[in-house]
Amino acid sequence: MTTVLLIIHGLLAVALLGAITHQVASVWLPARKPAGSFVGRFRSVPGASYTNAIIVLYVCTAALGGIAIYPEFRLSVRPALEQLGLWKALGAFDLKEHFTVIGLATLPAYWHFWRQPLSEQHARTRAALTALLAFIVWWNFLVGHILNDIRGFGS
Amino acid sequence: MTVPRSSYSVFAIAFAVTFAVVYSIAVWKNYALFTYHPATNEFGLGVEKPREGGLAMYWYGWMATAGIAASVASLAACYLPQRLTSRLWPGLSWAVPLAALVFFAWLLKGYFLR
Repeated sequence: MTTVLLIIHGLLAVALLGAITHQVASVWLPARKPAGSFVGRFRSVPGASYTNAIIVLYVCTAALGGIAIYPEFRLSVRPALEQLGLWKALGAFDLKEHFTVIGLATLPAYWHFWRQPLSEQHARTRAALTALLAFIVWWNFLVGHILNDIRGFGS
Repeated sequence: MTVPRSSYSVFAIAFAVTFAVVYSIAVWKNYALFTYHPATNEFGLGVEKPREGGLAMYWYGWMATAGIAASVASLAACYLPQRLTSRLWPGLSWAVPLAALVFFAWLLKGYFLR
């Protein structure tokens, strides 16, 4: 069952990663002219349209990981990593759990500053909040992936 | 520049700031509101030692501590006079959480320096 939940957690994380990366690219590298290339089209999406999806995906991914999977990780996986002396991986995962919570707490502000119509006055705040969330999502995705590669559930 | 802020705006900024600060302190000093014992699926009030040779999880308790404290503080901030809330810099909503990420990197540096 935990393996199924982990796969769903991973799929939600992939969707979240794509959405937040689209949005952060649209804010920090906006396309100035009609896009012809793949990268250009990637940057030229309307960032605001991703906001609600990002919030829902973030909350669902965090809830699934934190409530359904994390206790099993602590019981079954973490002791094995400690025995193997993989301290850097464990430290990266501890950072992941704290970064996730800090990101959750910024979601009310993130939603507020992305609310339509977008305020030009808060463009920098909006961009910084989006970059912060993007960093957290990328960190969490990569660390989760690495930990699963080291010792996935059921191994 | 000072601009009038809606109550939600004040709440959202104050919540991001106070949660990041209180959560960081809660983790640092281990102020968990409750402890979860995953081996026996039991909860205990406050910080408890592991039961029956198992392990104790404080993460949920730290979140609860910070969530309650930040909710109360942010709701209280909504009732502050407009002349004070209009000076609230929106950038605090990302600057303080960013500082919290750096703080955790420092707090957990022992894992990376072994």
